[in-house]
Amino acid sequence: MSLDAAEAMKGNNFTARASTRDRCIEVSLTGTADLTVSSQLDNFLRDVHIEAQRCLAQEVTVDVRQLEFMNSSCLKSFVRWICAVQEQVDPGKYRIVFVSSTSVGWQRRSLSALASLANEIVSIQA
Amino acid sequence: MVSIVRRFVEETFEKLVGDADAVFRVSLAVHELLENAAKYAVGDKTDLTVHFESDGAGANIKLTNQTTPECLERLRAFVSEIQSSDNPLLLYQSMMRRKLDVEGASGLGLARIRAEGELDLSLEIEGTVVTVVASCLPARGPSI
Repeated sequence: MSLDAAEAMKGNNFTARASTRDRCIEVSLTGTADLTVSSQLDNFLRDVHIEAQRCLAQEVTVDVRQLEFMNSSCLKSFVRWICAVQEQVDPGKYRIVFVSSTSVGWQRRSLSALASLANEIVSIQA
Repeated sequence: MVSIVRRFVEETFEKLVGDADAVFRVSLAVHELLENAAKYAVGDKTDLTVHFESDGAGANIKLTNQTTPECLERLRAFVSEIQSSDNPLLLYQSMMRRKLDVEGASGLGLARIRAEGELDLSLEIEGTVVTVVASCLPARGPSI
């Protein structure tokens, strides 16, 4: 799989990419996730979820170390995705691991809030 | 434009305040309030004031714009619910799920400012001109 939203979001200082390796999906987000890209991010995460279902993924890692900021609309895209995974029954359920940076201001507080929604499937690596 | 202002606030206050987390909390509020203004303000004027204690302990962000009576009522209800909650994080988590069906807006910006930013929220209203105030302690330090 190669889900590449970079082209669609060109000019907005935001890229989203995903690739599949075995039964793991690696997602990478860079730039600024704000109002201008929230609907594309919604679609992107929906496609990641569909792909995760298709390949019976065990884990999706989301590398946000290069993501400078995420606004509440984009955060809501993640809430929607996490809730969708939470509603799945095995084998459709998978873990979501955020790979974060302690040096990027928003990540500790915002990712903790996301993880608290579903501690059983969401974890944070710093 | 919103991200440009947020970066400006971050870069300016990072030089003045040695507390990166405090700077983040203020810049979060600036970003979310400005995006709300972009979505709901009418007219062509929005005023933003950011006041920051030099030790990072206090901050005060004010955003003023004109809006519609309908938006004003929704804003009053939002802020009232946030103000009356004694557990902002729990309210934020609850709103995250409740607002999933709301289209065209997150409905989370103010709750995020309260829960993640740990800032108090209040409103000053004159007619249809509203000022949203996000603050922690009274601020007397550098401002822009």
